[in-house]
Parts: sequence; C-alpha cells; structure tokens
Amino acid sequence: MMSLLSSVYAGVIALAGEASQSSSGGLGDLWNRLKDDFINNFITQKRYMYLLKGLGITFEVTFFAALLGIFLGIVVALIRSSHDKLKDEMRPGFLKGLLGFFNFIANLYLTIIRGTPMVVQLMIAYFVIFAASNNKVLVAILAFGINSGAYVAEIIRSGIMSIDNGQFEAGRSLGFGYIATMVHIIIPQAFKNVLPALANEFIVLIKETSVSGYVGLQDLTKGGDIIRSRTYSAFMPLIAVALIYLVIVIFFSRLVSLLERRLRNSDR
Amino acid sequence: MIVEKGDVIISVKDLKKYYNGEAIKALDGVTTDIRKGEVVVVIGPSGSGKSTFLRSLNLLERPTSGTITFNGTDITSKATDINKLRQKMGMVFQHFNLFPHLTIMKNMTLGPTKLLGMSAAEAENKAKILLDRVGLGDRGDSYPSQLSGGQKQRIAIVRALAMNPEVMLFDEPTSALDPEMVGEVLEVMKQLAKAGMTMVCVTHEMGFAREVGTRVIFMDCGKIIEENTPEQIFTNPQNERLVSFLQKVL
Repeated sequence: MMSLLSSVYAGVIALAGEASQSSSGGLGDLWNRLKDDFINNFITQKRYMYLLKGLGITFEVTFFAALLGIFLGIVVALIRSSHDKLKDEMRPGFLKGLLGFFNFIANLYLTIIRGTPMVVQLMIAYFVIFAASNNKVLVAILAFGINSGAYVAEIIRSGIMSIDNGQFEAGRSLGFGYIATMVHIIIPQAFKNVLPALANEFIVLIKETSVSGYVGLQDLTKGGDIIRSRTYSAFMPLIAVALIYLVIVIFFSRLVSLLERRLRNSDR
Repeated sequence: MIVEKGDVIISVKDLKKYYNGEAIKALDGVTTDIRKGEVVVVIGPSGSGKSTFLRSLNLLERPTSGTITFNGTDITSKATDINKLRQKMGMVFQHFNLFPHLTIMKNMTLGPTKLLGMSAAEAENKAKILLDRVGLGDRGDSYPSQLSGGQKQRIAIVRALAMNPEVMLFDEPTSALDPEMVGEVLEVMKQLAKAGMTMVCVTHEMGFAREVGTRVIFMDCGKIIEENTPEQIFTNPQNERLVSFLQKVL
C-alpha cells in the first residue's frame, strides 16, 4: 500500500517537474517531500482558506438546495400521486381541471430537469435566466434545488405509491379527508420507506455541487483547483478535496442509519 | 334526526356500478333498506358484487347511478360532506388495515382526537375500555406487526367502534384469518350484535349468518336474488341459484 502510494506520488511530483534532483526515494525522503508539499499547498499564504471558505459555500449551497429540493419534491409528488389516485374519483369540474393542469406542469418539469445535465442547467440559470444577478450562491441554490426537487419528487411519489391502498381506505373510512389521510397515515409510512433513497439523493447533491466552479462560484472543489493553479501541484489539493467530501458523506450516512434504526421501531 | 330501533337508517335505491362503460356490471340495480338494530348478512359467490355493494354504502366505491340515503341524507349528492358521514359508519376490512407505523393505542385514538375533538386522555380512556372488552387491554403499546391476525382484526373492530358509529360495515372480516382465529373475531361481532349495533356483514361464515343475522341477502351478478330471514334462506331457499350456492358452501 505504502509503496504504491509512494510510486503514485513520485509520478505526480515528477509530472509537476519538482522531482528532478531526487535521488534515493526512501521513506524518510518521501515524508519530507510530503511535508514540504503540504506546507506549500495549505500553509503558505494561508491557502487552506480556499478549502475552508469553499467548504462553507458547499455546505451553504447544499443545505438550502436540499431544503428547496424537498419542498419542491413533496409538492410535485403530491400533485402527481393525487392526480393518479383521484382522477377516477373526482367529478369533472374546475378542481379536476386545475389538478390536471398542475399535473401537466409537474410532468414537464420532471422531463426537462431529468433530461438535461446538471452542469448545463446551472450554466443556463447563471448566464441566461439570472444573467442580471451577480449572486452566484443564490443562483446555485436555485439551480441545484430545482434539479434535486425533480429526483426527490419521484422518490417520494414512489414511496406514496408503495403504501397499500387499504391504508388509504382505512383512513378515509374513519372519516379523514384526502389531505388528512395523506398527512397522518400515508406520508409517515412513505417517508420511512424512502428514507434511504432520500439520503442517497442528498449525498448525490453534496457531490454534485462540485460543478459550481463552472459559473465561477468558489466552492470546495473550486477552492482546491485554485490552490492547484497557484502551486502547480495537483496531488495535495485534489486529494484533500476528495477526503473532505468522503468524510462528510460518511458522517452523513452514519446519521441517516441512526435515524433509520429509530424509525424501525414499528417493524419489530 | 333520531333513529329508533326498526327505523330505516340506510336506504339504497336502484344502485348501479359499471366499469368500462357498461361492459362490467358489478352492481346492477340494488334496492334495499337497512333498519336500525338489524344484522344484515350479505352472501353470494365471488364476483357477485357483495363487496362492491358494501363499499358503496360509505362511498369507498362511487356508484354509477342510484341513490344511498343515510339518516335521511343523500350521500351520493355533491353537497354532502362524506367525511362527516363516514365517521358514523365504521368499517372493518378483510386485511385489517391497521396503521403499522402507530401503536395500537395511537391507532385507536387517531380518529377520535383528530376528528371528534376528544382530548388525548379522554380518547385513551375510551380505547382502554374497548380494548378490555375484546380481551386486548394489555396490548395498547404494541405495534400491529406484533399481533396475530385474529388480534389485529379485533383491534380493527374496536378502532372503528372508537368513533361511536351508528352502523358497522364488515367486508369479509374473517376471510384472511387462519381457521383457528376465525372464532375469536366472530365472537366479538356476536357481542356487538347483541349490544344492538346495526351491522352489515359480507361474509362466507354461514354459521354466523344463521346464528347472528336478522336478515340474509343473497347476491349474484350484481343483483339481490333473494333476501329473507336466515331460517327461510337456509331451510327454504326459493331461487335455484341460491340452492346451488348453498349446496356448495354448506
């Protein structure tokens, strides 16, 4: 493992043109070079600040985009599943027409968002739709949130559809209305079923914000890339960026499995 | 409107339910009255429309045409608040349909607290009394997945009773149970009938129909073929379809 790392690292250094005078390549030598590289990339001129500030931006964008995504996702999922469930039951009229219209809009939204790449959506948001705005963070939150919402919507809808119709009928037969049945009976069960998929979507979202650099937003990835462009060494900053993402994702996954275990009470 | 024993509580007139235009006639002109205190047992071969009939009574199925009047209110009318009326019609399903994410106690208090405006303590007291009555007083904190089928169905019955319904609808309540658990559920239904509850039961339990029913309705092909007292139905069936049905099930 160590020797593999050593040879990879040597290769990287050689590419960067810094290894011209190295001779032996022993472990001590490697350690010294790592240390120098670390200081050069992170300590000198407080370059770690690029990562720290970038991480802050990544968190900010991910957090608010996730909130927006969950909100949009729930709304779209409710529109789509209500349309599917109620279209036979509702009498023709204004409400039915309205639901049909919203369903059409929801389907259009899903088709467009899921049919185009995230990076392209982000660039269209920044350079076309919000060309007048200079608030990169806000534009990124909107773009990522709207994108995530489409995936969350399908996750939640699949959760709602996975609940046996008998649950729905039991709620209605007690006298609960459609919305109250959804709120008290269907959604709590659906949420539990889709929690792993939702957590996965959040993990995808964290990592997807790494394309923020396309519109010049200095997130974590862009921060690492700026360091690389200053020090001309790629290894340290990029590996550091990768490790930070990895730690965040592992931490978050742990959190979710704890939550899952608590929600599993009723399945004993 | 106060309904006395013997008064009509549900009146069904020329009820029709068609699927695919008129290709499938699940209900083809059903007319009958349910009176206060009656235990009406609906029997018939599968596909005869008996479940559709029962589920139409609280509009889980929307009829194609015809009217259903409950306590003098036309429930098929657009202006009727069906949610309010459903509170007065308890329903028990073949597959129990307890809420798996809630404890037994929460299953029973959800409706009374959210819909009838009872306080949590009040609803829990009432639930405890009902649970004791069906011999499950100690299972309030359990989840549905921890109970047997017979226990689940008994809970489902008292969950419906917790709403103080005027009528109880049973949709094949024992069909999904292991044979040794059928008895305990029928026993609860029998108690309920004795207490004077108005009941409409779709069932294959001919023993129950004979012993507890005050009237038996035999359905086939979406129509009521014959209705009479259990005694007449079982000892003196008139229609040949009923005769052949009884030969098969008895």
